Amino acid sequence: MSDFDSQIKESQAQVEQAQAKVAELTSRIETARQKMAEGQDISVDIENASLDDVHAHTDLMNANIAELIMGLDDVTAGFQSDFDELRSKTGWESVVGIFSKNRSESMRQERLRTASIDDKLQDLIAKSDTIVSLLEGQLAELEVQKGKVETNLSGTLEERETVVGELEALKGDIQAMDPQIITLENKISVETDAAARTALETELAELNAKYNEMIREEQVKLARSQTLERYIEKGKTWVDSLTNQAATQMVLINKLQTDTKQRVVLYDALTKSLKTAQQQDVAHRINEIGVKTDQEAQTAMAAIGSATNSRMAEMLEAHEDHMVFAREVLEAKAKADERFARRFATIVEKHDSNAYGG
Amino acid sequence: MNDTTPIQDTRVTRRYFRKFERITQHMGRVAGVMEAEGTLTKTEVEVLGRYIAGLTYTFRALSMKYLFAGRVSGAGKLMFDFRESGFPAAAELMELSVDASQLDRHLAGSENADTLKDRMVKKIVGDKEIPTKLQFALSQRLYYEELARGHLFWLRNDPDAIWQGNDGERRRFLVHWAVYDSQVNLPTIYLMELEDTGRTSLPKDIRRWPEVQAHLMAQSQGDLKLLTIARGFDLDFSDLHPKRLRRFHLGPMYSHAFTEQTGPLRKVLAQADAPEGEDWALVWTEEELIANHAEMQKSGWFGRVERQVFALDPTGQAGGPDTGATFTRRAIMLPARPYQALEELGPPGLREVRKFVVSPSGRVLVY
Repeated sequence: MSDFDSQIKESQAQVEQAQAKVAELTSRIETARQKMAEGQDISVDIENASLDDVHAHTDLMNANIAELIMGLDDVTAGFQSDFDELRSKTGWESVVGIFSKNRSESMRQERLRTASIDDKLQDLIAKSDTIVSLLEGQLAELEVQKGKVETNLSGTLEERETVVGELEALKGDIQAMDPQIITLENKISVETDAAARTALETELAELNAKYNEMIREEQVKLARSQTLERYIEKGKTWVDSLTNQAATQMVLINKLQTDTKQRVVLYDALTKSLKTAQQQDVAHRINEIGVKTDQEAQTAMAAIGSATNSRMAEMLEAHEDHMVFAREVLEAKAKADERFARRFATIVEKHDSNAYGG
Repeated sequence: MNDTTPIQDTRVTRRYFRKFERITQHMGRVAGVMEAEGTLTKTEVEVLGRYIAGLTYTFRALSMKYLFAGRVSGAGKLMFDFRESGFPAAAELMELSVDASQLDRHLAGSENADTLKDRMVKKIVGDKEIPTKLQFALSQRLYYEELARGHLFWLRNDPDAIWQGNDGERRRFLVHWAVYDSQVNLPTIYLMELEDTGRTSLPKDIRRWPEVQAHLMAQSQGDLKLLTIARGFDLDFSDLHPKRLRRFHLGPMYSHAFTEQTGPLRKVLAQADAPEGEDWALVWTEEELIANHAEMQKSGWFGRVERQVFALDPTGQAGGPDTGATFTRRAIMLPARPYQALEELGPPGLREVRKFVVSPSGRVLVY
């Protein structure tokens, strides 16, 4: 179990780091926005806000948490021994059985009566809860960041719209100036009076200066619109990435919750079914007969034993109403598993091939 | 192990818990009526009352936990058994215990109610916003505070013994304990009257008492018949003699708006078409097993021990269902309006069942 604790600690540290990275990137994007509002050049800031670093970290974190979830499987493998013990005799009981079958059987019965897996189930829930709260913390943080970037983006989008509008208006104005200039030039070419010609030429020079000014302004607006566009692109990618990360968290949470629910329900049902099957009928037969018991018990036990010594699945099939629910849970689990496997194919592979060294 | 479904909406969740608050209040009154008519003794009513109060607290805690279900993304949703019991799923109570074990961390890590309310006011006045997040935080805070207050009905409520008097050398005890049965999602209360011939009085015996407690808890399964439990206990503890064992299954709860059980009660509630607050019926079952006589049996080579032989319901021997108990009684508690519908329809299965009709003023009528 110490292994589980240390793994949890490791994951917690990674979640913190990943959150720091995510927050840092968001704040960089926000700083860029401020700088842009002040009219500074932000192309460097945008280029620096690289997602790769964040992604590398998030991947590491998710891999670790996925590993943690798979690790729970190993924890729960311990339940199997409990079930086996409910069905069969312990070593000591078998030894006693060589000398006295009755004594051995009554020892087993006594052990059955005190058997309980409640503590283990609680432990399982507690462990799964710890992981879920870890994941939910991460999910909440991702959503906060996403919200921030999204408000930021919508502001920027509006701004870009204004800039583009201004740009269009400017282009229109520039085009409207062309006929004015042409008319003036034509006038100059036919004008013979020197004074009038000078006046016209001054007018043309003024018009040209205004024209050039407008062209320059167009360049500035164009550059601004492009910067805004790049900024928006970056922001969109970041939002996509955050959405994707959040989806991953949800898949992990879903997988874990379905698994835990399924385990608790099945283990609980199985233990109780086993306990009931192994002692109920015997108690009944014994009661009224009073003393003439042992033979009766042996026959009953043999009959029940053959029914219960079969595998876990068969055991559950014997309880049809249980099965209906179990099937639903199993279907839900299959779905969660599939989603999980899609996202974590490599980790599952490594886990299955024991590439992590146990 | 039944069909459970989450309640998605916060309003529905609140209505569900309001219903249970009413039901647990009435339960206490019905227990009082049963004391007055002599079905239960004063001690038994006290014991039952404690568990019923525990249930009230448990439901109150759960109602706080899920107050914002469906409203805030981080809020969980209550799973309840809509097909059979109408009660919350047993897994909810397992989580309750897990939460209770981490109480300190949660209480230390959150602000107290007054600070939160203060901040809410600031948010409302200052930002002119509905402080949903703060409300949620407060509901969680109140949840953990309720857990900290204790006396809840847990998944397992370990045995307690009440001394009832002495018969010569024999001490008589009433041992009581309760579990939330995870197979049927119902609270189940056990009362066992036993005689103790041990050297040390049972609750003071540091060797036997923990063993007895562990044994009884491990055997508290709804699908084990009383006979099985009593015989197993008799066999494992030679100087304890179970004389009478009773088990109360509180529930199922029927409600036309919430549950989808089959059977006559569903039709009754549909016909009653009762308004919110009166659309429910609660059935409870009492099983009782009484020791008929005791026999002395050989134990080992020299010892002799006393073993009980229990009386069984005669219908079992006559080919009826083998209940593994001496008596099985069912009773039903419901408000006046569904009761009228019940009388009009008169389903045959419910004619023999005792009916406790409750009114909002707290009066209980027995039919």
